[in-house]
Amino acid sequence: MNDTAVLRQPFVLRFATVGFIVFWTILAAFPLLWITLMSFKLPIDAFASDPLRVIFGFTTLRERGGLSVTALVLGAFALWLAYHGAEHHGRRFARYLALGGREWLGWLLAALVYVIALILGLFWILPAIVRVVEAILSHIPVLDYLARPMMGLTMQNYRAVWIGYRFYDNFINSMIVTTGTVVISLTVGTLAGYGLARTRSNVAFWLLIAALIFRALPHSVLVTGYLPVFIHSREFLAPLWNWHATAWFFHLFSDQPPTLYGQPLAVIMVLVSINQPFTIWMLRSFFMNIPAELDEAARVDGCSHLGAFRRVIMPVMWPGVITTGLFSFLLAYNDYLVCSLLLDAQSQTMVPAITSFFNRETTTTDQVQAVAAAVSITAPLFLLVIVFQKQIVSGLTQGAVKG
Amino acid sequence: MAEVQLRNVTKHWGGFTAVDDLSLTIADHEFLVLLGPSGCGKTTTMRMIAGLSDVSGGEIRIDGRKVNALEPKDRDVAMVFQNYGLYPNLNVYENIRFPLKVRKIDASTHRERVLKAAELVELQDLLERRPRELSGGQRQRVALARAIVREPNVFLMDEPLSNLDAKLRVSTRAQIKNLQHELSVTTVYVTHDQIEAMTLADRVVVMNRGVVQQIGTPMEIYDRPSNTFVAGFIGSPAMNLIEGSLAGGVFKAGDMRVSGLPDDGRDGDVVLGFRAEDAFVADGEEPAELEAAIYSVELQGDATMVTMRVGGELCSIKAAKSFEARIGDPLRVRIPSGICHRFDKKTGARL
Ligand SMILES: Nc1ncnc2c1ncn2[C@@H]1O[C@H](COP(=O)(O)OP(=O)(O)OP(=O)(O)O)[C@@H](O)[C@H]1O
Ligand SMILES: [Mg+2]
Repeated sequence: MNDTAVLRQPFVLRFATVGFIVFWTILAAFPLLWITLMSFKLPIDAFASDPLRVIFGFTTLRERGGLSVTALVLGAFALWLAYHGAEHHGRRFARYLALGGREWLGWLLAALVYVIALILGLFWILPAIVRVVEAILSHIPVLDYLARPMMGLTMQNYRAVWIGYRFYDNFINSMIVTTGTVVISLTVGTLAGYGLARTRSNVAFWLLIAALIFRALPHSVLVTGYLPVFIHSREFLAPLWNWHATAWFFHLFSDQPPTLYGQPLAVIMVLVSINQPFTIWMLRSFFMNIPAELDEAARVDGCSHLGAFRRVIMPVMWPGVITTGLFSFLLAYNDYLVCSLLLDAQSQTMVPAITSFFNRETTTTDQVQAVAAAVSITAPLFLLVIVFQKQIVSGLTQGAVKG
Repeated sequence: MAEVQLRNVTKHWGGFTAVDDLSLTIADHEFLVLLGPSGCGKTTTMRMIAGLSDVSGGEIRIDGRKVNALEPKDRDVAMVFQNYGLYPNLNVYENIRFPLKVRKIDASTHRERVLKAAELVELQDLLERRPRELSGGQRQRVALARAIVREPNVFLMDEPLSNLDAKLRVSTRAQIKNLQHELSVTTVYVTHDQIEAMTLADRVVVMNRGVVQQIGTPMEIYDRPSNTFVAGFIGSPAMNLIEGSLAGGVFKAGDMRVSGLPDDGRDGDVVLGFRAEDAFVADGEEPAELEAAIYSVELQGDATMVTMRVGGELCSIKAAKSFEARIGDPLRVRIPSGICHRFDKKTGARL
């Protein structure tokens, strides 16, 4: 890539670097790959001492069938195609669908079409193509090996976890908690961060201190403080429901003050309070990178102050917002302590719920199911990083785009 | 098209006064330049006209209407910023079109107007580029096009040329002058470069520390500076300012003696000012006002600048380019009384 003589590394150094990176990647990714393989096997294969059995799942293959080399190759190709298509043609497609110049509408429609096409393609068209190719190959000598199932695969663990143990309830709860946390953090964070970036006050300094304190405190300390308030929230909130000036408003939502304990709202409140100073502070530094001339130009050109924020500053801010949003998302999504202490069993999120799999009698079946649940939790993270990779990289490296 | 009036406009930042009691009427179609050293309050003045900073006192009227409380968008001014303030996520076409879009001007006219503005600043071929793919001069022209596309009441330009190299600055300067002439829109232009001020302005406002020093045409400011600050700021080199004493129409300072000045009773300590190009080297034995050793000689191509020491100060004289002398040589210089300006030593005001 770079041909300047100064930057050319000696062969040994480059070999060592590449070698180290590969080694480290394998080391780090191995557990993930391994449990992914395990989760698709019958317990007897999954916990076999012979690694080949874990990979190819001979028993699973015999009893539940599996995938041929053809299917694996075509499947990988289809995934690559889906990624490549979104990466290289997504923008143009969205522009094409932007009816009447409304770009957000274009993106929405494009995303909708993409998801539908993906589902149709992966579950309907791809299997059909695989079947046809396999049928053709199986009539050719030697090549018919490619058409024969060779890697055992079963969905039974996932089916048990998601349907049998109603993991989708936990998934929905996780989504409620993370969405709530991310939306509140980002809304407050962008507005406050923008305001702070454009004043000369030293509130930002105190915010940084607060961010450090809230991030440094063990979460259990905060939760202990909140717990009594949430348990007795009915009494605490009663004045709002009784005082005539505010009563009409709160009665719109419910006739009585709610008990917050056990509700996602409580978790969202705690997570937001842990995270908010940090979010504001991080967004503020992104806003600081955007020259004030930009808002001023927009205001002279005919925007109101808020209009300038919306039409000029936000479009430049996306990498920062997405990077910050990712941090909030990870905090909420991966949170164990707050959720397990403040939520009851039926509104539990995924991460605490997974422990209940290990707490059962722990037969090998239970353990494989716990593994499948663990893999299910990581999948959305991968999806998120793949979708937003560009913004995340530019958000983490260069701050925001410079004028 | 509009007249802009500033009446006793003042701006404080805490205890610091950035602009002090500024009164000024900018006529319709006029090209007015605010000139002054760094930190003298030029940008602050312009931002108050644009509505980006509040005024602490006084009032601003555009077209007779008081605008103190109006948002920038309601003042119908267009501004070119020092660092251009282009929208990085939009291409050149969309950048120029932005004011039309936010002001909800009939969309069917956009294309025509953007193309016309782009053509005026010769940007037709770059419409698809993003700002970061442009050179400084091209960005500058996008900013100009964005300002003119809307045909505003007033143009405000804050040191628009300061980021360009010397050559580009000259050509863009000419372009701005021509553009203002074509569109004949009232323009306020901020600069600390006096050549820009001289070449562009119908009238120049010289400011120092937030206070207006002189308002006048470039010629007036050059020929009749109203105080020592203006005299020392305008021209390159600036006017020679020599401290000395005046008695009965005769000025004395060190080796210098100028007679024939008006004898109007202003005797005492004064500052005498004259321009390097008005003085000349004496030939032959004719009487000279200044006789001293040469302090330094600088070749400038079209002329030679000779510096001499008078009392404590240096004083430069412009000689022909064929002039030859070495440092230390004695030199006799003519400084006719007609080229001299007298200033009060204490206040600096013109006498
Ligand atoms: N937001 C502010 N708060 C406090 N003081 C300010 C602020 N903005 C400007 N000043 C001060 O006001 C004075 C005038 O500033 P201004 O920006 O108008 O100078 P300028 O004439 O445009 O100078 P330059 O040629 O360097 O751009 C300066 O001394 C500056 O320090
Ligand atoms: Mg300035």
